[in-house]
Amino acid sequence: MSTRIFLTIIIMTTVTLTAMAEQSTSGKLKFTELRSAGSPLVTFRIIVRAGSINDPKGKEGLNSLTASLIAEGGTKDLTYSEVVDKLYPWAARIDVNPDQEITTFTGEVHRDHLDKFYKLFSDLLLHPRFDQSDFARIKDAHINYLESTLRSTNDEALGKEALNAFIFQNHPYGNPDIGTVQGITSITLDDVKNYYADIYTQSRIWIGIAGGYPVALTATMKKDFGKLPAGEFHEVPLPTPGDIHGMEVMVVEKPSRAYAVSMGYPIPLTRKDKDYYALLVANSYFGEHRTFNGILMNHLRGDRGLNYGDYSYIEKFSGGLGGAPFPEPNTPLRQQFFSIWLRPVQPENTHFAIRDALFELKNLVDKGLSNEDFEATRNFLLNYSKLWVSTLDRRLGYVMDSEFYGSEYYIDRIAAELPKLTVDDVNAAIKKYLHASDIKIAVVVDEGKAQAFYDSLATNAPSLIHYEAQKPANILEQDKIITVFPLDINKEKSVVVKSKDLFEK
Amino acid sequence: MEFTMVRFFGILTLLVPMLIVSAESHQHKIFPYKINQSTLPNGLRIVSIPFDSPGIIAYYTVVRTGSRNEVEPGKSGFAHFFEHMMFRGTEKYPEEKFNNMLKSIGADNNAFTSDDETVYHTVASASALETIMDMESDRFMNLKYSEAAFKTEAGAILGEYNKNSSSPFQTIDEKVRDAAYMEHTYKHSTMGFLKDIEDMPNQYQYSLTFFDRWYRPENCVVVVVGDQKKLVSLATKYYGSWKHGSYALNVPAEPPQNEDKFVQIPWKSRTLPILTVAFHGPAFSDTHTDMAALNLFSQLAFGETSDLYKKLVVQDQMVESLSGQMRQNRDPGLFFIFARIKKAKDIAAVRDAIDKTLEEAKTKPVSQSRLADVRSHLKYSFAMRLDDADHVAGTISQFIAMANDPESVNRYYALYDKITPKDIMNVVKKYFVNTNRTVALTQQEDHQ
Repeated sequence: MSTRIFLTIIIMTTVTLTAMAEQSTSGKLKFTELRSAGSPLVTFRIIVRAGSINDPKGKEGLNSLTASLIAEGGTKDLTYSEVVDKLYPWAARIDVNPDQEITTFTGEVHRDHLDKFYKLFSDLLLHPRFDQSDFARIKDAHINYLESTLRSTNDEALGKEALNAFIFQNHPYGNPDIGTVQGITSITLDDVKNYYADIYTQSRIWIGIAGGYPVALTATMKKDFGKLPAGEFHEVPLPTPGDIHGMEVMVVEKPSRAYAVSMGYPIPLTRKDKDYYALLVANSYFGEHRTFNGILMNHLRGDRGLNYGDYSYIEKFSGGLGGAPFPEPNTPLRQQFFSIWLRPVQPENTHFAIRDALFELKNLVDKGLSNEDFEATRNFLLNYSKLWVSTLDRRLGYVMDSEFYGSEYYIDRIAAELPKLTVDDVNAAIKKYLHASDIKIAVVVDEGKAQAFYDSLATNAPSLIHYEAQKPANILEQDKIITVFPLDINKEKSVVVKSKDLFEK
Repeated sequence: MEFTMVRFFGILTLLVPMLIVSAESHQHKIFPYKINQSTLPNGLRIVSIPFDSPGIIAYYTVVRTGSRNEVEPGKSGFAHFFEHMMFRGTEKYPEEKFNNMLKSIGADNNAFTSDDETVYHTVASASALETIMDMESDRFMNLKYSEAAFKTEAGAILGEYNKNSSSPFQTIDEKVRDAAYMEHTYKHSTMGFLKDIEDMPNQYQYSLTFFDRWYRPENCVVVVVGDQKKLVSLATKYYGSWKHGSYALNVPAEPPQNEDKFVQIPWKSRTLPILTVAFHGPAFSDTHTDMAALNLFSQLAFGETSDLYKKLVVQDQMVESLSGQMRQNRDPGLFFIFARIKKAKDIAAVRDAIDKTLEEAKTKPVSQSRLADVRSHLKYSFAMRLDDADHVAGTISQFIAMANDPESVNRYYALYDKITPKDIMNVVKKYFVNTNRTVALTQQEDHQ
């Protein structure tokens, strides 16, 4: 089988699958449609152009609470339980993802029940019940998530969220999407009603529909959602994230049997930028999520057995903790960041693992990809990216994300940009955007051991490593370098914190 | 009853209007696609399912071996460990070459292990079918790894245990199984006992025995979903020389439980109290109705439309989440009820409310309309899941693992239409008795 023939087959297939997206507007409403008459399913993705960045100061969590109360509350006519009772026999689904920049309501139903489902779904959005009891239930759930899950029983999510807060200090991206404990505590039902009135206006609503729905549905939605106030969309201005000097470390202390690590820094690239596609190839080579392609995965897990997985990203990657192999749609950001995720490492090996990851990053920056690696990785991505959009629902999400970025459909853009790249383009992008210094590092460390762990980082203590297995000479030689690989820890900007103090306000 | 059957046939023909090859032969089947089965002389079965996913196939190999097969002391977690070793290469395709070939075809390739199965799955271009079959057949027949690679992979296994260790649910699963089972291998989780995981680097020789026993054609089924041609002739070419095995497994039967059990699980980090109530249930069956009846009951009693859910979660707001689940296992599994309780003072009240629900269900029949809603929910959920080749292959693989027959899915879902309110009362009376129960309470240490 020749590689050239294989690529041709895949690309032809993709044209068939993606030729249907249509954009339109009605008043200030925006529509994206992927109609497929033969499909038995209908999917809605209704995006509200507001996210946690719109939370008022002191009311952090208001966007999330409002969205959750709409999706998990009632309508003017029906209580929450009555809504659930109606949806249940159809196995229809209504979810919401209140993200940083946007909030996405998703609905999925078999077309047998489309009319009744649409009435419910649209009533939830257009005529929310805003019941005091539902408000109390959802407010509790928000606070419990922060206090009893994120801070305490999900160390990998904690490491990622701590890194986000650390990178985006004093920036609208800096809080968890769900808010802060004090912010949520201070929110009243009136705050929610006022936020809804301000934000849920035509100017911010963007309706995506996919699947086997009748043509007339679009007109119905234009009429129904057209009754919302017109409103004005004002984009929240984003400051440039603060500079990073050296290696700034946040050690988060809580009971933990193994240490989760996330590290990274902002990069001025999104899917709209040409250089993004060069960096996409570099990142796939270095740390493609949940594959054995990446340097990080092969060197930390494959060669050394340090942990379960090691990956890198050039944009926010949602869904990774749930084991999803592909990026989830509808979590776009105007300002992106590069990050490395090391899954929990045995305590005695964590310092070494951090050094190893940064050593490999430095190698990537210094040496780049060989032409052979470049060709293999480019070829991989051209094929692999087609798998990201295996359902109409996912395709719709990706189409809408591309619109957000002001770029053509992401999967097509990959197919268009990658063949034009050279290995020199990729290596130039690495040099321009990546570095193994000036990086923020978040580590979740066991109770009572955080300060000692930080001290070993800050003093550049050698991180000796012991293996159960015999190792080849080349790995042992490399280990000698990694064991003392210097980390330029910025002691003024580094902190040791208790997890219970994070995300408080 | 008849109305329900007709209605669902309508749903499923709409789902795949172009794909049902022979409508007559499928009209009472929940699974809407034709299932083609062939068996090679060595016992390997090949299942192919035509599916309209242009250019994409899902290629699954179901090994009917999971942690259930770990009958020897000290060897828990080995089926899962072995799943990892299957990525360590052969003479023909050493690890790096194996990965490079997967990369060259742009495949999504991974595996998972459960109590009863180990499943290797690949999604890739249909034109890569022969390449995938070449690689998969080679590692299933000719896996070869060094002791050093084996010991290194043991680190990744410990890492996998570690990554889940901050969640109380991994520990709850371990502790409840350990308390509820005395003899059967479901006593340990698929990850295995931690002491066995930590001893894995010393088990190289046993790993060779494990491969020899279980990675045999009569214990495996290859499932290909999508646009595929010449599948059987390719399978004969690549798997034909694989030798039949001879190992006979003797999983100890679990004796009846005869005492009410309680496990306290202290938790160092902050957590809401988690109440777990587990009962021994039946084995999976597509002919006997107990499993299907308990699955319906899990929805009726603990699902989001149940009276208990509405009371505890929505009205009184004592409980943040509530669920019930009958685990589908080859041998008798556990029925789990989980309640994540907001305040420790309400633990007793929640436990009483669960007990009351179970007692009432023994004598109070559910209404026909409520039962119809749950049947409808389960069937629509099933139909809506089959939205790409990967999900179709994953769904059918579960039934192969349970019943060794993909057609089992149709027989199992047909059972739902036979079950009456009286059948549900009968299974509740049969399984939900205190001497068959294990209760676990997980609480933050200083809140106990």
